[in-house]
Order: sequence, then C-alpha cells, then structure tokens
Amino acid sequence: MNIVVLVKQVPDSGAERTLSADFSVDRASSSNVINEMDEYAIEEALKIKEAHGGEVTVLTVGPAGATDSIRKALSMGPDKAVHVQDDALHGSCAVATSKVLAAALRTLSPDLILSGAESTDGRVQVVPHMLAELLGVAALTGARKLTVDGSQLTVERQTDEGYEVVTAATPAIVSVWDTINEPRYPSFKGIMAAKKKPVQALTLGDLGISGDEVGFAGATSQVLEFNKRPARTGGAKVVDEGNGGEQLVSYLASEKFV
Amino acid sequence: MTSFVESQERRDLRAAVFQLGSRYGESYFYSAAARGAKTTELWGEAAKAGYLGVSIPEEYGGGGGDIGDLAAVVEELATAGCPLLLLVVSPAIVGTIIARSGTDEQRRRWLPGLATGEARYAFGITEPDAGSNSHQIITRARRDGDDWILNGRKTYISGVDEAGHVLVVGRTEDARTGKLKPALFMVPTGAAGFEYQPIETGLVSPEKQFSLFFDDVRLPADALVGREDAGLDQLFAGLNPERIMAASQATGTARWALRKAVDYAGQRKVWDTPIGAHQAIAHPLAQIHVEVEAARLLTQKAAALDAAGDLLAAGEAANMAKYAAAEAACKAVDQAIQTHGGNGLATEYGLVQALANVRLSRIAPVSREMALNFIAQFSLKLPRSY
Repeated sequence: MNIVVLVKQVPDSGAERTLSADFSVDRASSSNVINEMDEYAIEEALKIKEAHGGEVTVLTVGPAGATDSIRKALSMGPDKAVHVQDDALHGSCAVATSKVLAAALRTLSPDLILSGAESTDGRVQVVPHMLAELLGVAALTGARKLTVDGSQLTVERQTDEGYEVVTAATPAIVSVWDTINEPRYPSFKGIMAAKKKPVQALTLGDLGISGDEVGFAGATSQVLEFNKRPARTGGAKVVDEGNGGEQLVSYLASEKFV
Repeated sequence: MTSFVESQERRDLRAAVFQLGSRYGESYFYSAAARGAKTTELWGEAAKAGYLGVSIPEEYGGGGGDIGDLAAVVEELATAGCPLLLLVVSPAIVGTIIARSGTDEQRRRWLPGLATGEARYAFGITEPDAGSNSHQIITRARRDGDDWILNGRKTYISGVDEAGHVLVVGRTEDARTGKLKPALFMVPTGAAGFEYQPIETGLVSPEKQFSLFFDDVRLPADALVGREDAGLDQLFAGLNPERIMAASQATGTARWALRKAVDYAGQRKVWDTPIGAHQAIAHPLAQIHVEVEAARLLTQKAAALDAAGDLLAAGEAANMAKYAAAEAACKAVDQAIQTHGGNGLATEYGLVQALANVRLSRIAPVSREMALNFIAQFSLKLPRSY
C-alpha cells in the first residue's frame, strides 16, 4: 500500500507560543517540533506497512527549517519524504495549504493518506476534509482505530458521545487522534539512516500553483487581532454538605470524564 | 566528532533518548529504588529502540556506533533523572572488551544479547585487598584439564543480581610474579561455588552493590576471554569506555540537578523577585554550568579519541573527563539542594537521594586521587610515589 503521511512542523506546544507581527504563527522565537498528532499518523502508517507491505512517504509543506522535523519523522521509519517549500507560502490559510497539499499528493498517487486530526498551532481540523474534497477521495476523520483489509478501510471515529464505525475503499484520507496508538521512539538505526533517505524538494512552480493563490495574497481568511489566552482561573470547588459525592460526579459527568 | 559540535545523528539520538527518559524521570528511578524494584520498564523500552546496543558492532545486531554514542545514551538518561549504572558496566566495559579482545566465537556468543539489551553482564575487578591497586589482584584461575578452576573474592561489584554473567578480572596461577597479567573470565552468576552477597550502602539506586566469593568455580576453557597472556591491553580496552561512561553519567546527573535548581530559582519568590535573580543564587549555578560544559567537552574528546583508536590519548582524556565530571556533579547536586533550601532535603524533590550517587562518581570507577595521580605522572611527568 502506498501511504503518504502529512507532517506539519509546529512550535513546541509545551513552550511559550505567540504570533508574529503579521499575525502568522511565530516560528522564530520557539523551538519547532513535529505536530504531536502527526507522530500518531506516522506510527499508524508504519504499522500498516509492517502488516501489509508498501511504502510510506512523509509530505511536508513548510519553510526550510522544517527539514529538522522531516528528518525526525524519517528516523521513525518512513521510506522517503517530499518537502514543498516556497517563500510565497508564508501566511497561507487552510484552503491554500490544502490546495498545495492536494497538488503534491497528485504527484504521489497514494492509496492512503494519513494525518493528525489537528495541528497544535492552527487547530482548525479542516485540512483532511478539504483534501478529500479536492482529491475526490473519502475522508475518514478523527480515527481512534483503523483496520485495513485489502482496499477496505474501517475506522472507529471518535466523537464526544462515543464512536462511529465508518468504512471506505481506498484511496482515502484518514485523520487520527492520539488514542489510536503509541508512537515509537526513533531507533538508533533509524536515526542513522534518516539522513540518507531521499527528500524530494518541490516548489509552487513544480506543482503549477502561482504565488498569488497562496500566502497572505491568496488567503480566504484574515486575522485582524488576537488576544493572549486568559489566565487560568480557580476551578470549581465542591463543598461537602452531605451531597459532595453527587456534586463531584455531576461535575465529572459535565466534563465527560465519566 | 571532528569539530566542537557533535554530528546531527548524535544530537538526534540525544533528543530521542532524553524524550524517552523524561517519560520516566527521577520519580520512577527513586521510587523503584525505594521499593527494591528494578528499572525493567525503562531498560526494556531503551533496548527495544536499540539505544542500549548502539556501540555493539552491526554484524552482531548492534547499532555499529562507538562509545560516544553509548555515552550520549547514558548521559541523556541521567539528564532525565535516570542514571542507569548497568549501562556503564554491561554494554560499555564488557561489550567493548569482548568486541575488541574476544574470539570470533565469543563475539557471536556474547555480543548479540548486548546488542538487543536482553543480556546483562556485570564486571568484577575490585578486591578487598586490591582496591585501586589492581596489581594486587589475587583472584586466580588454574588449569584442570581443559577447564579453569577459579578462586578468590571481589567487592563493590554492581548489578550482579541482574546479570547473567560476571566478567571477572583474575590472574592465571602460573603468572603470579607480582606483575599484573590479567586474565578475564565470563562466569555464570549461577555457577557452583560462586556466591554473592549484597553490600548495604546509603546509595539510593535500583542497582545494588555486591561482594563475590569464588570457591573452586569450574569454568569451561572458553570462559577465558581473549588470550591468557593478553596483558593490560585487553583490560584497558574496557577501562576507557568505563571512564567515559562514568563521566557521562556524572555530567548527565549534573545537568539534571542544574535544571531542577534553575527551574526552582526561576519560580521561587521569597520577596518580590524570583530567587534566581539574586546573584548569590545565580552565580554558583552559572559557574557550575560552565564546569559541566567543560567536563562534557572533555568527555566527548575522550570518546572521539577512543573511537579513533588512540587508546593512550583517550585514556588521558578519559581520566581528566571523569575527574572534571565527578567534581561538577557533586557541586551541581550540592548547589541544587542549597538553592531549594529545606525542600532540597525533602525526598519529594529527588535531590537528596542523588547525594550519595554523585559522591560515588568521585570514588568510582577510579577515585579522584588515582585519576589525579595518573594525570600528574602521565600528563605532567611528575615522579611517582608508589
């Protein structure tokens, strides 16, 4: 099976994050890492390859510095990578990013596209759906479990209430949550091999996309202002006046912990 | 390392190992120690990723890296709060000696287990009457037909309860001329006539220390590693990695303590500003940071020289690195405790448990004094007193 995993480089969600003066994600002042959810997508791709054979390609759209994340992704085990890099991409919205990813995916003709269900920087969760639309393939999103049987895909789709079982035939795109597996650590051999794996560089020109379709110029949405996240407030206090247990359970239920 | 910056692969390895170690951290390490448990889960995960076998040759299933790669693994685990002592012993000392001095058959027998991390081997050199003076080693082996019969004692041997075999430094009986002619034997921990007893220490570690007793332990001919008359070379092949690893474990522990101190000093307010803003707190930490980085650079130099095959120069650098690293680690833990005030002595903060461990790095695998003797005589050409 020809699998492509979408890997995005994001600012480390564990560190202080902010926006640049132009309201794009500030990538300069924090350390950048693989979007955490994408590591689960890589793991799932590697497991499918190990069980069914095939090839795993990492696809990244991002600036030059994203090569660090591509190398890290390759050290986990994928076979090769494609890096779409172009200065005109700076400031791209989800629609434009999807257009670029779709163009790159057409050059790879994957049976299965895997991605994280969201990125920790943008968190809009729409790119997998947009790609499905642009490529004319099925979208199985928010998976907590994926089963491959020949060309048949079965997904347990995580929802607030429980899960739905959805199926589709390849080619398809599946986005995954962090409940789907436990990503492996890059092995020593994987680390040593990563630098030797092929990374194909593509520009917008290579994909037949003009600069004004992407970046700030082609953005369908515009950030006008932003505010810092409000400081944490004290949580709910439960005072036990005989019904403390009930209050506690109803709080946990309202937060969907029980 | 051909420059003052490690290769990208080495840095990636560090990042991956630190990430794994951080999922465990000092709370895992010290709670295992308190319960009398081992670090089985961490060892298993690190082994699975190939981190424990990085320095074992590829043809035996290892990573094909050098001692610098293994030193990076032990340092990053210690930086994450998990100083695994057996890594210094099993893959580093025993693995290097067998890889460099063992017969083809011995390599095929012993190295694959070290490559996967499934096998663990202890190393026994110190004796009650031959501490730093390994010329006084009296553990001896005599021939009986094709077999060897081993008699003697060892003390302060780490991790024997977790090891399948101990690589024992002895002497062959007819070589008792007073001049050290070490002969190395792989001794199964279950061998008849071999007993070991734990030594109660104040060290807070899942890995324990043991006294070993060999009473007519019968070993097959191939228990002898390498050649009977291999002399010091065979032993030295393992001692450079030992010192490089001990230094790395110490610098890792120093970085761990420094990080805890810095985090605390950045947040703890007694008056209006965090205490880290006060120079009385900040300067000692800055000074220790310099000393740790200096020790790391020396350690990396020693590893690079050892990997390049210049064992003599590596030995000099490894002794200096071990000295500098142990001093930095002792200072770092001491100052981290001072920075924490009373909390520095609370077990919750994990620092007080590290006190004896860093103190150990000043004593073992070679004492500060013997390291300085070596530097005085070898580097400075001063006359020797013993």
